[in-house]
This record gives sequence, C-alpha cells and structure tokens, in this order.
Amino acid sequence: MKMLKAISTKRSLLLFSLSVAFVLLLVLFWDDESQEYAELSHHLLQLKEMDARLDRDVLRITSFLLVQYDPLVRTSNRLRELKEKINSNPKLSDKVLADLVETYWRGMDEKLDILERIKFQAAQVRNGIHYLPIAARELEAVDPEAYRDMLELLNSLYTYHLFYTDTQIEDIHSALAKLKQKSPSSPASREVLDKVLFHVDSNLGDLTELGGLKIRYLAIPTLEYFEYIHARHERNRIIEIANKKQLIVILSAVVFILLLGLWQLIRSLQKAHLEVNRAWYRLHDAVENLSEAFALFDADGRLVLHNRRFGEFYPWLKDWIFEGANISALQSVTGNRIHNLSLEGEAVFGVMPIGQYLEQVESGAWFLASNNYTTEGGVVCVRSDITESKQAEADLRKLGRVLEQSPTSVMITDTNGTIEYVNPKFEKVSGYSAAEAVGQNPRILKSGDKTKEEYTEMWNTLLAGKEWRGMFHNRRKDGSIYWESASICPLRDEMGKITHFIAVKEDITAQKRAEDQLRMNATVFETTAEGIMVTDADNLIKTVNPAFTRITGYAPEEAIGRGPSMLSSGRHNKAFYESLWDSVLQKGYWTGEIWNRRKDGSVFPEWLSIAAIPGEDGIAKEYVAVFSDISKHKQDEEQIRYQANYDALTGLPNRSLLSDRLTQAIGSANRENWKLALLFIDLDQFKMVNDTFGHVMGDELLQQVASRIEACVRESDTVARFGGDEFVILLQDVTDMDAVAGIAAKVIDSIIRVFTLYGREIYIGASVGITIFPDDAVNADALLRNADMAMYQAKAHGRNNYQFFTASMQQRTLERQQLELDLRLAIKRNELEIYYQPVVDATLDRVVSIEALLRWNHPHRGVVSPNRFIPLAEDCGLIGSVGEWVIKGACEQLSQWHKAGFADLNMAVNLSSRQRELGLEADYLRQVLQDTGLSPETLTLEMTESLLMRDTDEAITWLTGFKALGVNLSVDDFGTGYSSLSYLKRFPVDILKIDRSFVNDLPADIDDASLVKTIVAMAESLNLSLVAEGVESKEQADFLVDIGCRNLQGFYYAKPMSAAAMTVWLNGDVQGTGTT
Amino acid sequence: MRNYLKLLIFLLIMSSDALAGWVKNEPIQPLTADHDLNPKLAALGDRLFHDRRLSQDNSLSCAGCHVLSTGGTDGKAKSMGVSGAIGGIKAPTVYNTRFNFVQFWDGRAPTLEAQAAGPVHNPIEMNSNWQEVISKLGNDPSMVADFDALFEDGITGENITIAIAAFERSLVTLNSRFDRWLRGEKGVLTEKERRGYRLFKSYGCISCHQGVNVGGNMYGFIGAMGDYFEDRGGEITPADLGRYNVTQRAEDKHYFKVPSLRLAAVNPPYFHDGSAKTLNDAVRVMGRYQLGREIPDDEIEDIVAFLFSLVGEHIRFKP
Repeated sequence: MKMLKAISTKRSLLLFSLSVAFVLLLVLFWDDESQEYAELSHHLLQLKEMDARLDRDVLRITSFLLVQYDPLVRTSNRLRELKEKINSNPKLSDKVLADLVETYWRGMDEKLDILERIKFQAAQVRNGIHYLPIAARELEAVDPEAYRDMLELLNSLYTYHLFYTDTQIEDIHSALAKLKQKSPSSPASREVLDKVLFHVDSNLGDLTELGGLKIRYLAIPTLEYFEYIHARHERNRIIEIANKKQLIVILSAVVFILLLGLWQLIRSLQKAHLEVNRAWYRLHDAVENLSEAFALFDADGRLVLHNRRFGEFYPWLKDWIFEGANISALQSVTGNRIHNLSLEGEAVFGVMPIGQYLEQVESGAWFLASNNYTTEGGVVCVRSDITESKQAEADLRKLGRVLEQSPTSVMITDTNGTIEYVNPKFEKVSGYSAAEAVGQNPRILKSGDKTKEEYTEMWNTLLAGKEWRGMFHNRRKDGSIYWESASICPLRDEMGKITHFIAVKEDITAQKRAEDQLRMNATVFETTAEGIMVTDADNLIKTVNPAFTRITGYAPEEAIGRGPSMLSSGRHNKAFYESLWDSVLQKGYWTGEIWNRRKDGSVFPEWLSIAAIPGEDGIAKEYVAVFSDISKHKQDEEQIRYQANYDALTGLPNRSLLSDRLTQAIGSANRENWKLALLFIDLDQFKMVNDTFGHVMGDELLQQVASRIEACVRESDTVARFGGDEFVILLQDVTDMDAVAGIAAKVIDSIIRVFTLYGREIYIGASVGITIFPDDAVNADALLRNADMAMYQAKAHGRNNYQFFTASMQQRTLERQQLELDLRLAIKRNELEIYYQPVVDATLDRVVSIEALLRWNHPHRGVVSPNRFIPLAEDCGLIGSVGEWVIKGACEQLSQWHKAGFADLNMAVNLSSRQRELGLEADYLRQVLQDTGLSPETLTLEMTESLLMRDTDEAITWLTGFKALGVNLSVDDFGTGYSSLSYLKRFPVDILKIDRSFVNDLPADIDDASLVKTIVAMAESLNLSLVAEGVESKEQADFLVDIGCRNLQGFYYAKPMSAAAMTVWLNGDVQGTGTT
Repeated sequence: MRNYLKLLIFLLIMSSDALAGWVKNEPIQPLTADHDLNPKLAALGDRLFHDRRLSQDNSLSCAGCHVLSTGGTDGKAKSMGVSGAIGGIKAPTVYNTRFNFVQFWDGRAPTLEAQAAGPVHNPIEMNSNWQEVISKLGNDPSMVADFDALFEDGITGENITIAIAAFERSLVTLNSRFDRWLRGEKGVLTEKERRGYRLFKSYGCISCHQGVNVGGNMYGFIGAMGDYFEDRGGEITPADLGRYNVTQRAEDKHYFKVPSLRLAAVNPPYFHDGSAKTLNDAVRVMGRYQLGREIPDDEIEDIVAFLFSLVGEHIRFKP
C-alpha cells in the first residue's frame, strides 16, 4: 500500500517538475532574447545621440564656436566603439538590417571624413578672419586710400561670413577685382596690398570650401538611414515578440495539459489506491486466518504484511513486528534463537535461506519454513508448526537408531520368513548388505549344521507366538562360519495377529575362540619344558606348572602360597635382586641369568624371564616367571669365548688375542732372555679400494693380504689383524735385526704385488714400523705404541718402506707429549697471542690487509714457532678451539681498527684442514662476523695448498660454505705444493700468496724469477689477486712490483707484531705514507 | 537629520570636485593620467616595449627608436631599423599618444593597439611577425607566466599589443608649467612664455594645435598657404604623400595628422621629414606655409619659450 502511494507520488512529482521545467525554460529563453533587443535598441539610441552631437559640433565648428577639437575626438571614438558593438549584435543576422546598418556606417564614415576637412578648413578660415584686419592695418600706413577700400571689402567679407547671400559674394568679388586693378601709390604699398589681397583670396576660397563641405556634410542622410534601421529593428522586434507570444501560448497549453494529466493521474491513482486498500484488507483477513505464520517483506526488507500467527511463532519479536519493521532488525533481535536445518537434517547457514527448510526455535518447537522471492524482489515467509510430527519422528528415529546402533544383529522377516529389515550389525556380521539381504530368506545364512527337526521345532515355537532362543552356526557371505546366539520372537499388530518375526542375534564366535584359546593355553602350561611360576601382587606363588616341579623338585602344593625366595641360591647379592625388581616394576619385565637352588639343595643356572601383568589400574596384579635350566648352555660358553679371539674375516688372531700372546711372549722372552720384534703394518690405499669398490671387494682384499702376510712368517710367529687395515706381526726369539728387516721388506714386497679381485687388478702398498723388546720398551702397550710411531715415520718417509723405532723417535714422542700438554695449558694460561703483519700495496705505500698470526709465548721455551706447535695442535685436535679463538680475536681486533679510523683494512686468518674435521662451520664464522659487525668481504681465510689437495670434494663443499658468506679465500704458500690450474679452478679462491721460498732469492735466482713471473701471469689469467710474502729487501719489492705483484708482505715492510704495536705502526703509516 | 547629512556629503563631494577640476577656459587643456590602467598589464607592456625579441634579429626593441628618457623619439630624421634599414619617416614620440585621435603621421591606426603591431611587421623597422615573436617569447618561462597570469589565451599577437598599448597609455607627461598655469597656479610662467602663448593664439597656430595634446586631434595639409615641398626641394617620397597612402584619394595628398606639441621642445628634428632642425626653424616654417606669414625672430623666440613650458614630467623622462 505504501509502495503504491510512493509510486503515485513519484509519478506526480515527475509530471509536476516537467511542467515547472517547461515554464522555466520558456522564461529563460524569452529573457535571453529580449536582452539582445534591448541592447541593440540602447546602442541605436546612443548612435542617434552621437550622430546628433556630431551634427551639432559641425555647426559649432563652422560657426567658429568650438575652440578645441578634443570633444570631437571623444565623439568619434564613441562612434567607433558603437560600431563595433552594433556590428557584433546577434540581431544583425537579419540581412536587411545588416545592409541598412552598413549603409548607415558608410554614411557615417563619409560624415567623419568631411568633418575632418571641416575641422581644418574652419581653422584656416578662422585664422584668415583673425589676420585680415591686422594685415589691413599695415596697408593703412602705406596707402590710406587702399586701406579704406580694403576695410570696405573686409566688411562685406565678414558680412558674408555671417549671411551667406549671393549678392554679398558678388559685391565681394567686384570689390576684390577693383582693388586688384588699383594702381598702388608706391611699390611698398603694392607689396602690402598684394599680401592682403592674397589672404583675402585665400580666405574667400577657404570660406567657399567650408561652405561646400558643410553642405556636403549636411546632405548625408544618416538620420534617414538611422530611421530605416530603427524601423527595421522595431519590425523585427514586433515579429519576434509575436512569435514569442505564440510560443508562450503553446507552451502554456502544454503545461496546462501536463497539469491536467497530473490531476487525472492522481485521481486514478487514488481510485486504484482504494481498490488496493480493499484488496489489501481482504488479503490481510485471509492471511490473518491462516494456520501458518505468514510475513511478507518488500525489496527493501521492510515488513509489509504479516499475521498474528507470525508473532505467536516468534514470541520474542512481539514488540518488533509492525508494518515497516526492517528484516535485519528482526534478525538481529532473533539472534541465535533459531537453528536452521535442511529437510535432510543438515545444518543450514545463512540468515534467511530461500526455499524450504526446518527451523527449531529456542522453545524446542519445530517449524517447516519456506522463504520465497516475490516478483518485485521482496521475500514471502511461511512457517507451519511441525513440532508434533517432529517429536514423533524423533521418537521413531530414536528407536531406529537403537536398531541401527545395536551391538546385536537384528533381522525382521514377515510371517513367510522373507527378510524385510536387517540392521548394520547384521550387515557387518553376515557380510550381506541390507540391499542384498532384504527380500531373501534367512536360509542364505545356513551352514547346514542344524537338522530339519530343529528348524521345525523353532518354527512351531514361533508360530505358537512364543519366543525361541538358540544358537546358529551360520555362514557369512564370504563362506566363513560364525557362531550366533539368537532370540527370535513374533511381532503382533493391534488385532493380536502375528505380522512379523524379529530375530536378535549375537556373534559369539570370538567368545567361542577365547574358550578354545584358554583350553590351548592350559595345555601349553601343562606340557611346556620351561618352568612357569605365577605370583600375585604380593609376590606369593599362585600357580606353577609341571615343568616347575620337574626343574625345582617342588610340587605345586609345596610352592603355592610361598614366596619365590624359597628358590634363592644365595649366589646373588641384594643389589642384584633390587635391580631385577626395579626392571620388572619400571619396564614391566626382566630377562637374565640367575642361579637358583633346587629342593634338593643343588644350585643351577637358569635363564629367567619375569613379566609383570598389570591390572586395570596399571599396577602389577600378577607376575609370571618363565625359566629354563641352562646348566648345559653354560658349558658351551667357553667355546664361544675362544672363538671371539679370532678375526672372523681373516681367521687371524684379533687384537685381544694378540695382546694376550704379546703378554705371554714378553713373559717367555724374559724367562728365556730372548728378544721380540713387533712389526706394525699399515696398508696404503686400502681405504681408496674400500671406498671405490665397496666392502665386499675390501674384505676379499684383506683376506688375500692376510694370507700373503702369513706366508712371510714362521708358524710360530703370530700374525694378527689389529683393526681395519692394520696388521701386527709378533716375532719371537729374535736375534738378527737384519732378519727382522728382511721379513718387513718381504711383507712389503708381497703386498705391493698386484692383487686380482673379481677380475680387477688392484695395487696397494704397506708401511711397516718395527720395535724390539726389550730394547725399545718392556711392556705390551709401549711396544705397540712404538711400532705404531715407527710405522708413521715410515709413512712420512714415503710409504712402502719400514722403519725401526729409534731413541730420537722416542725423544720426539716424549717431547711431543710434553708440548701437547703444555699447549693445552697454554690456552688456559693465555700464553697464546695473535700477532699481526701488514700486507702493503707497494705502489700506493698503503696497508691493504693484515695477516693474523698465532704466537705462543711459552713460559720456559720462550716463543714457540708456529711450525712446531700448529701441526701438534692439528694432530691432537686442539687446532679446533685455537682456530676459532684466532678467528674471533682477529675479527674483534679488525673491528676495533675499523672504528679507530682504518676503515679500509682487511684481515687474513689462516685456516687448517683439520678444522673442517673438527667441525668449524660457516655458521660459526657468520656469528663472529655478526657479533663484530664486520662485513664479510673484509675477511680473508688463508689455507695451504695441501688443504686443497686432500679430500677434494669435502674441502670444496666446506670452502664454498665460507665463500657463500662473502669472505675471500686465499691460497697460502702458493707454489710449494702441486697446485695446478685445474685445482685452482675448482676452488672458490680469490687470492694467491706467493710462498716466501720463491721470494727469498729474488731477483738473482733466474729460476725463481721466472716461476714468480709465471705465477703472476697465471693469477692474472684466473683473475686472482696476488700477495707475495717474505719480502725482505727493496730489490725484491721493486722486482715484484715490476712484474705486476704489488701487494707485498715481509720484514722489509714490517715484522709481525702485537695488536698494540700494530696500532702504533698503522698510525705512523697513515701519518707518514711512503716512509716504509 | 539623515537628509542633512546626505546633503552635506553631497556638497563636500561637489565642492572638492569643482576645486580639483577647475582650469582656465583655454583652447589648451591640462594633461590627465589614465587611472583605469591595470598596473600588471602596463608592467608587462613595459617589458615588451623594451624586449628586443620583438625584432627579427633580436637587435631592436620599441624603446630603440622611442627613447623614453629623452622624450620618446630617437632625435633622427629617419630611424634605423633592423640590419641598418633606414625608415621613411620621422619617428613620433610615444609620450601622450593616448590623446591622439589616430596614430601614425597618416592616421592609419585608429588605436594604440593597432599601432603597436605596425613596427613589428614593418620590414624596415623590426621586420618580424607574431609567429616568430610568440615562439621566441614562448621559450621564456617568466614571460609565459606573466602572460598566463593576465590572459586566458597566453601569448598572442593581440595580447602583446594590448600590453604595449597599456604601457603607452601610462606615458603621460603631467604637471608641465603650462598645465599648472592652466590650473590657476601663479608665477609658473614667465612674461616671455605668456607672451609666446598669446602670439601662438593670435597667429592662429592654436587653430590646429589645440586641445589637451596641443595637436593630435585633427588632420591638416602641410603647405596650406604656400608650396612647402617645392621650397623644401628634393624628391617627393611616399612618406610625403601623407594620408593619401591610406585612402588613395588624390585630395588626401600631403594631408597629415597635426602632431602634438607637448614635447616638441625636446624632440627635434621636426615635421614628418625632419627637415626643420630647430624649433625656431619649425615655428618659422609653420608660419610661412600654414599661416602665410613671416613671424619676426623675437616673436619666434617667445613662441619657442611658450612651447618649452608645455614640457611636463614622467618618471622615465629625464630631459
């Protein structure tokens, strides 16, 4: 209803504003047109005034009343302006008018033109009038008679000036002629007379000219032209006004018609409105009497129509439901009071879903809801109360769910036994799906174990209306058999007639199986050879099996009720039992060997397993002990131990047996005063074979090596596999050292011969270290250590040779051990210090980098050479922590120097390959850089060539990790190793350091010089930076700079020095550049 | 009460107006300043007036021939244009031109705006054109900004002339002793000058040289009472033909705009051809050919004295 009102209002407004617009347009248009007319009229009026003013001024000029012409200038300027304005008036689009105006302007231009002449002519005439009496007076002095005549002439001339009569002009001309002919009284008189006459002549001429101009001027009919213009203008204006009036009448009519239409529209709308109102009330009544709740919302979500039921359905909306209420307001009031479900029972989201769905309100009532769009975009909502049917449905569903979720199979058949329903449990148990089972006879489950009589009995019971109980041995769909206990009873209708049978069945197969299992367990319990004893939570024996009796001698009745301690042998202490029970209580079991005592008092070893059986609360309820007598087994162990002394792969004595043998041999040698020789053999290249060809090949190789070594010695000598690829030969009763050396050489020779493994030819080598008892050492461990040391010496001598252990070796070993000890202490005692040596750019005399060098200030030995303690630190692994300490210290120092103003300084720190093995990672370096705030490119890591040569792939990976941080990598001692171009290319190296050994003899040594030149060229080609170390003289420096190596390091520039000294040196360097 | 007040104010206004406006009733009237000028427009005109880019080779500005400090002319009989071209006519002063009824000797320009375009395009003066000038000025951001601030369409030929004309309207030499005398000030003119003025009137010079500008509001024939050109000698040049050059009518030959005598005293030589080197000569020649009279030397001296009293003041004018 409101909508209709709104529409009618809108339409009438539209019509009304249309009318107003028409009127406004008309007025505007009219006003605009009249403006131009008014303007033109106004200008024409001014034009007429100016024209008149011009005429007036012309008259004033010719009457010599105007003494100056400025007013005329103003008038003509004004006319020019008017001309522009009038010519630009749009009304001049009338061609006739434009022509008339043009004619007027032509006339006006001519007038102005003549005016100009008049101005000049009038000036001339006026000057003449003024001058003639003066000139005449000159005549008076020379010729009084002529003067009199002249006065008369002038008189008539002035009269003529006043009254332009023809008689006058004739008189003047005759008088003039007379005067001209007059003979002068003197030549002077003639001259004066002629001059006066010339002026009179001129004046007369000018006067005539002026008169003519005036006539010409006045003859120009500008006024007449103006009248034409005016008349035309007026005519145009009248026509225009007439047109306007006509237009106004038409437009007024249009407006009237529009207004009429408007009135009509409003009337018809009112009528329609009444109709609608009536229909509305009918509809309202109809809606009000609906049993359903009803609400209609318009497109803007406003409530248009609803019935009382709607309010009853949603009681909380009582104060909110009124015509015009907004749907969203209602929804917000409703909040969570309503839960929407689809007809299928799934949750429905969205505030007001379109279509049918179910609503459950907070009171528990159920509504069938239906929302649908109206044609105009509104929503119509219908709700019917289905709470009762919903309740019934819920009850049914509950019962249904009982069936569905029942742990027992349920089957319903009709009286003919045709299956009408089976529940999911049935499906699960039988393997038949509901679809397969329904319509079938229960016979499909039959396994055939029941007799016909039994079935008949069952049917009779059922048909008699009684319940039947029994067991079925049924067959599943897959053919397997299962046990069911069933209860079948008839269902009756209201009349008491049997309509269905319902069978409730339980699968008892598992139960049956469990019974079988128990039976079997009991048998095992009775018959097993292992003794079983079960104790209760208080650890009193509950039960024992016959084997228990057999092993222990105790009958069950003797054991039951007693503690297991009756079996205690007394061989185990209290702690043993405590740990046993700890294990049982903590882990739930214990397994191990235990000595127990039989009834007869004899002690026997048994292998015992105890398991705790936890109750429902997790605490042990029972303990089961199973044990077997292992007296015999014990006896076998000795054999096994023996076997453990031999290497399984080669069959040679292993390390422990060797140790035994060596000990025995030392004993014998002492007694017999023999000498012993111990040969330590280490295979070279074995690792490579193992890594390259695999363990199978490696094992095969070791076997062959073992037999070759065995072939080199007497049977009385011992050949043992010491571990990995290490073998040891123990020679007894040695007298001749040459013979020992011979055996060593024989062993080496036999090993370096080719091995053929799986069709492959393989070469390996061996290094042998020899030590002699009692010359070198008197106990087994020392002998083995000496032999090992000698073997390393042999390796150091270039492999495939043997070395005897010597006293100096011993000395070194001791010293080394001492040094190692000292080094460990040195770290703690702060004896290590970082020294710094600068690298100088010789061409710029500027420090480019500083190398951090480790220095050990030993309290007794003084400064220990890094060449001595660094390898030691590498060997014993100390290099790991020392290396990290150096990196950290050097970076901190560099950071300090940066802060002190040496911002361009870089730092080089040495890196050992052992540091990789000891776990120095890029992460550590990153952390140090981060802590010290250094940018990575200021740090260079220096490593030896040998580092690059060893374990190439791992080394590359390792170095690439550092490189990725952005630090530079430098190769130290370049040229001493085997570095080749190919090697360098593989590594992310930035800088080469030419080893001092090449620099030493520069530039005198030709070989060194050419080598260094080669290195420089190579570095250039690889785009690597170069540093030469060990520069000690100016000659060396000059030579190096000459060949293109400008970064130099050495005593010539500066020795390594402490951080403090370096700081002083740097300051000096900065202040006195070039003083080095 | 209120009516009395109104009356009082009315009387006050009227009386002050009357006092300020009072001048002697003479054929010559005092010069007045144009109070309606837009100062920014005039300032732009000033820049343009002195801008050499208005000439083809950037050598010559308006001020080149119209030297403001000496009186608005270049003191030559014929001015020199670009590339040494010699003009055909004596350059008139730019002072007080707003009082002239037309511009140029032959009156071919009705307004100052129309006049300003003339020399720019004249091949023997600036020898340029608007297209050229606009492109040159358009490269000068400050010029572009000045124009944009004043005109919607920026730099155009028309706008250039509007600005120059505005500047020229400001070139009025006020407060000459003669004007002060006209306004009633006592003792500003000497006896000789007053005698000169009386002679100026009685000889009839005043017939043509009248109004605020002492001339400049009418045309006249040179040689009304004698053949000026025959006596002058030399060829008749196109410039000698005067307004004929505009109308092509035979009767307009030797018909010229009567020049203003306001700054005649400081702007020799005289006449359109610059044939009179001194003011005394000019007065004598004028008496002879325009009045048909020989003016005695002592009277010429008096008239010249009078003409000097017409010279007024302007901030740019430093005689």
